[in-house]
Amino acid sequence: MKYRITHLTQYGYSTATPVCHNLVHLTPRQTARQRCRDFVLEISPDPAHVTARQDYFGNQSSYFSIHQSHAGLCVTARSLVTLLPVDLPDADKSPGWESIRDELPSVRAPEWLDAYQFAFDSPCVKSSAELAEYASESFLPQRPILRAVADLNRRIHQDFRYDPQATSVTTPIQEVFQHRHGVCQDFAHVAIGCLRSLGLAARYVSGYLRTLPPPGQARMVGADASHAWFAVYAGSSGWVDLDPTNQLLVDTDHITLAWGRDYSDVAPVRGVFVGAGTHSVTVSVDVLPEDE
Amino acid sequence: MTVLTSADARRSSFLDDYVPLPGVYDELLDAQGEPRPGWRTFCRQLGELATGEFGRRWDQAQNLLHENGIAFGAYGDSENPLRPWVVDPLPLLIAADQWQRVAAGLAQRARLLDRLLADLYGPQTLITRRVLPADLIYRHPGFLRVYHGQRPVGNRFLSCYAADLARGSDGHWWVLADRSEAPSGLGFALENRIVVSRMLPDVFHRCQVERLAPHFIALQQMLAESAPQHRDNPRIVLLSQGPGTPNYFEDAYLARYLGYTLVEAGDLAVRNGQVMLKTLGGLLPVDVIFRRPNSEHCDPLELSADAFSGIVGLLQSARERTVALANVLGAGLVESPVFMAYLPACCQELLREDLLLPNVPTWWCGDPASKHYVLDHLDELTIRRAYRNRGQDLPFHRQLQAWSKDELVAAIQKAPHAFVAQQHIERSTAPVWSDGGLKPQRIALRSYAVAAPDGFEVMQGGLVRVSQSSRPLDMSILSGEGSKDAWIVSPQPVSQISLLPTQSQTVELRRSGAELPSRVADNLYWLGRHIERSEAAARLLRTTILRLTSETEFELLPELPMLLRALVEQGQIEPGYVVQGIRVLLPDLRRSLPGTVLDEHQVGSLRFTVSQLFRAATLVRDRISTDSWRIISRIDQQFRPWPRYAGVDLTDLLTMLDQMIIDLAAFSGIVMESMTRTHTWRFLDLGRRLERALQVICLARSALEHANELSGPVLEALLEMADSLMTYRGRYLANLQLGPVIDLLLTDDTNPRSLAYQLVLLADHVERLPRNQTQPLLALDQRLAIGLLHDIRMIDVPMLADLHARGQSAPLVELLTVLEERLPKLSDAINHQYLIHAGPAQQLTEIRLEPST
Repeated sequence: MKYRITHLTQYGYSTATPVCHNLVHLTPRQTARQRCRDFVLEISPDPAHVTARQDYFGNQSSYFSIHQSHAGLCVTARSLVTLLPVDLPDADKSPGWESIRDELPSVRAPEWLDAYQFAFDSPCVKSSAELAEYASESFLPQRPILRAVADLNRRIHQDFRYDPQATSVTTPIQEVFQHRHGVCQDFAHVAIGCLRSLGLAARYVSGYLRTLPPPGQARMVGADASHAWFAVYAGSSGWVDLDPTNQLLVDTDHITLAWGRDYSDVAPVRGVFVGAGTHSVTVSVDVLPEDE
Repeated sequence: MTVLTSADARRSSFLDDYVPLPGVYDELLDAQGEPRPGWRTFCRQLGELATGEFGRRWDQAQNLLHENGIAFGAYGDSENPLRPWVVDPLPLLIAADQWQRVAAGLAQRARLLDRLLADLYGPQTLITRRVLPADLIYRHPGFLRVYHGQRPVGNRFLSCYAADLARGSDGHWWVLADRSEAPSGLGFALENRIVVSRMLPDVFHRCQVERLAPHFIALQQMLAESAPQHRDNPRIVLLSQGPGTPNYFEDAYLARYLGYTLVEAGDLAVRNGQVMLKTLGGLLPVDVIFRRPNSEHCDPLELSADAFSGIVGLLQSARERTVALANVLGAGLVESPVFMAYLPACCQELLREDLLLPNVPTWWCGDPASKHYVLDHLDELTIRRAYRNRGQDLPFHRQLQAWSKDELVAAIQKAPHAFVAQQHIERSTAPVWSDGGLKPQRIALRSYAVAAPDGFEVMQGGLVRVSQSSRPLDMSILSGEGSKDAWIVSPQPVSQISLLPTQSQTVELRRSGAELPSRVADNLYWLGRHIERSEAAARLLRTTILRLTSETEFELLPELPMLLRALVEQGQIEPGYVVQGIRVLLPDLRRSLPGTVLDEHQVGSLRFTVSQLFRAATLVRDRISTDSWRIISRIDQQFRPWPRYAGVDLTDLLTMLDQMIIDLAAFSGIVMESMTRTHTWRFLDLGRRLERALQVICLARSALEHANELSGPVLEALLEMADSLMTYRGRYLANLQLGPVIDLLLTDDTNPRSLAYQLVLLADHVERLPRNQTQPLLALDQRLAIGLLHDIRMIDVPMLADLHARGQSAPLVELLTVLEERLPKLSDAINHQYLIHAGPAQQLTEIRLEPST
């Protein structure tokens, strides 16, 4: 699949602000089955300073600052992304989940060591006995890890209600878990918390989801969205991505931007401005299949 | 060198009486009760001092401490008042040859921690080679991923290091703790040295004590050389968390001693990737930041611990190496006790050397075998938190104290990786001066190292902490224990070293001024206002009390209504006193006045005004001279609440006021005669002129509001409060008339107490403030200042006096009201133009991820 992606973020301030500093994770990541070409980051007004770097997790992050009085800020990320279909390992033949748990602390192969650091608490996700207990219904003894995690994914989708009004960016996952509602990023955090509470390695993936219009209707520009899901480390089967919000195994409808331990590592747009007024934000994402 | 007999060495009676604790290593006396090597000259010298003489000198030294205002705690925080720094007159002596071995160990340890940081924030070979357990790092709450990948100037990760050392019963020194984030205490070590060496100058010289100055020179050199482009004259700032934080006193002290601008995060801003200092003259680039706050408070964009503090974009500037930080952000990672369990192995791996100075044996419970050992030997070990965050030891320490053994075991079982266990060190004792004699107390030594071109330079001395028990030091050095100076005594004479630059360097001539940070200018402006407000309050109260205590019945005095009005206006007394009917119901002013003016909680009271003055002065302590500070400190001390408050009568209060007026005059004299006429002085004087103008107006209005009250005594009291009575008598003898009084107090610009005089100076100051020369029109502050001066120049004094004499007070009162309204506008205009650079920083709303499905 090939997509042309436009991600527009607009801030409006009630009073003009003289200074704004921003850190964004908006460049689609290069992965084994994802290639990103023609990436452009358009910023208005013109930033005085822009730099890009690879962060600790290998994502591209960009930093820019604006030093002229401005009443609004517009950040547009455009890219052309090619995706290969996922080559899913046979879930029944994946290793038993306990063997992954037991090997993580000791295997020092670079890939294992890299995965191991995703087994610990992170700023937004703290493991707990409650999460472990919830997860254990899916993680039966000796169950192949991919079977178990698919079941967990299914149960989160089934048990949690999608409700954008119920939580905010700062709602802790204990609360999400207790009330069983939230949005994609909350569900990803809950899944990650469950896996880490069992001693497994799980990471947070930020990206886009291509949406299909209802049957018989035309595609609407900008109706797609930023999305988030999680991935679990399955040893010889590598990292496997799952989407609890839609109860899906991640395939060619999901475009990966960045990954980290949780949302705080890879927030798409973060910024600090100087000034006393209030501000508003609007976001629109367009994932246009090239062959359409 | 003559050989001393023990009798020679121990002639002093109070040294003779010292008895160490049995079975504990004592620093002064060996097991036979003889002074140890290094102490002998000291004992002989001290022996020549009588106990009484020693005590007398100590009292003097205490006064010095007191006058320098050495204290810690949050300034201006009544919940957490300033506590005086406690220092013991007897230093800890260590023979130089012994110390050099320790110093070599400390230098090696600093090098090791520097390389440890470089590895953890870089390739992490210690993990891949299994020297460090991977989860030790991955679990570390201080291992923020955004610090990783920094490549600091000179590849230096650790610039300043400190270690807490203790001597065990075997006589060997052990490292108890490492400090790598932003080690505290340097300033106190310096102050202890100054106080103790001044108290015992002869002893100090005879003992050939190594100087501390070389350490501070090394620190200055290190900071200068770390400037990114190796500029000749780099701009170095000391970044502090500011007043209200426990380290502020030391920050200000060090900034002054080292000659750096003391800044807070709000004084700095990143522009185009470069850190800039906001000054009156505009933005100036900063090369090096000597960092005192914790890393996580330094950049709200990437380090979200405290969203409203820090310098937005600092971390990125550090990555781009447009600025150097000492220490680098994230350097505190390795001060967690958990690393102590692995340092010998790390030393082998990173330096290929044996660790020279052992640290106290440490076990990390995150390692299963270690946990097993710890649980089996719990009674012999001290449990501590594995991961430390500087400044947050106390809650955990309290929790550990509160736990029973079972609870502790349960906690370790539940989260083993959160704990380390350390062997208990029976710390040595040293004599401490107490109630005219010596008592043994436990000591620990904090020593400092600073990066140098070829390794680390260790301070020849340190800060000794004194405590009653030998329990581990889990408290901060600011927890209120005692302290001592540490003397490294050399067999040879030591060289005199000073912090002044050598003669060979030619210094460029400069008359600085524009570099004044806007925040400091603001604080100076307010200091000026509070000085003047205090003086006005003192003069009004003095005039009132002189009349309250006079022979004439107070109620019959014609000047009574005016004095009461002015007192109410200032907030010294309840408004009810100016209402005839209510006044009779209120307590007699003669009894109630001392209580109300000394009530700190009554806004506007004398005590309140003095507190404000003191607070304003603490904020600019690094900008005013030591003598000026002592005066302010003395005024504050006089008004500190003391038990005697209860018994203060009008006579006592009068004495206090006389003293205060003289102290304020002394402060003004120093400012007048010793302060260079830079913007520092200008803003102080701006504040003061503005406030004095307001106070003169207030007095004039209280006196002249009601034309029918006008009388000789009223005019006399008015002149007295405005300190112009002498001038008036010199000009007009005893002939008190309104016209000449109005002229002297309002329009006579040769009288430094007149309104006109203040306005002339205000207009002049405003004219000299830095501004954009290309602007064709006058700025608002200029227009307001000129307008005010014009108003006062145009007053027709004889006409106003004439109208007033005929009962028409309105024209004069209106004029005063107009002036009184315009002055604050001038103040606002100056504020907007120079003192408020930008509003608060805010986080942009983060976007929620909401698929539209």
